[in-house]
Amino acid sequence: MNTLIIGGGKVGVYLAQHLLDHGHEVTLIESRPERFEKLRGDIDDKHLICGDAADPLVLERVGIRSVEHLVCATGSDETNLIVAMLAKMEYGVRQVVARVNNPKNAWLFTPVMGVDSAVNQADLTARMLATQMDPLLGGEIFEEDATCSL
Amino acid sequence: MKIIVVGCGRMGSGLARALDRTNHDVAVIDRDESAFESLGSNFRGLTIKGIGFDRNALIKAGIERSDGLAACTSSDDANTVTARIAREMFRVPTVVARLYDPDKADVYRRLGIQTIGSISWAVKRALEIFSYSKLDVVESLGSGGGVEILHVAATAALVGHKLSELNIPGEIKVVALERSGKTAIGAEELTIESGDQLYVAAHASSVGQLRALMGIERVR
Repeated sequence: MNTLIIGGGKVGVYLAQHLLDHGHEVTLIESRPERFEKLRGDIDDKHLICGDAADPLVLERVGIRSVEHLVCATGSDETNLIVAMLAKMEYGVRQVVARVNNPKNAWLFTPVMGVDSAVNQADLTARMLATQMDPLLGGEIFEEDATCSL
Repeated sequence: MKIIVVGCGRMGSGLARALDRTNHDVAVIDRDESAFESLGSNFRGLTIKGIGFDRNALIKAGIERSDGLAACTSSDDANTVTARIAREMFRVPTVVARLYDPDKADVYRRLGIQTIGSISWAVKRALEIFSYSKLDVVESLGSGGGVEILHVAATAALVGHKLSELNIPGEIKVVALERSGKTAIGAEELTIESGDQLYVAAHASSVGQLRALMGIERVR
């Protein structure tokens, strides 16, 4: 499984390490140089690229055309959307999964913007917290199907 | 027309004011309310606090009935997302995004987003001023090393000379002269005046010589 992960924050790195531990092929792109230096201690250099994933040249350098799964996991919704858009429309990546940071932006994470499935982390966490408070509360105060669009 | 401007920096506020002055219906969105001060007290358009891809802000700005949207915040990513939303989700007929990074522009154009790169525009314009300010290629005839039709603005070196003095048989030939809004063909005995616009046919290899005659290139 050839996976490209955008964003070397906690979420991106956590996912990358699990995929690598299970023998998957992974490349991770991080744009912030100081963050990139920190990543080099946790993940082997051959899986890391420092660059702006919204730049088509960077995507081409990591072989975007042969990527099967793209995970847009940066902390910036606009960056996640741009990369999703480029990957889907310009390079025909088979599956694009994106992280929604601000629940207000969830409406944008749709196939029109190149996103096949979105994970709305604030919504997901809030639901789980509510369910822990009271098993019925989650279903009571949250609307259906807002967490993941699959 | 009804136009939405996202980002009220120098470009956004300048565009919004220009549209307002020419009686267009303008709505400006910016995340920082103090940015609207640059619109001046005479601005009649709508100002909305919010980010450019906030659904509520866009709807408040009237995106469902807009003829155009210009995304001109300082972030290339935000501008591209806003432009794409406007086009694909709200079907705004004309959408333009400002991009600082010229390398991205080609790809985004293929995604249906028209871009304006203020930096690449400025670089291109500066190059033009250095190399072509008084001399623009209007049309190239023939493929590779053919004949150029050039638009030439009268330079100090040309003023006072007859048009015919520019002609070099087989190399350079004045085609037309434009003066005070009128264009004449073949008036070769006329003396060139300041403000005249000349149309000149020149063999590609003789363009350097024409520049020298115009005094815009040093003869080496």
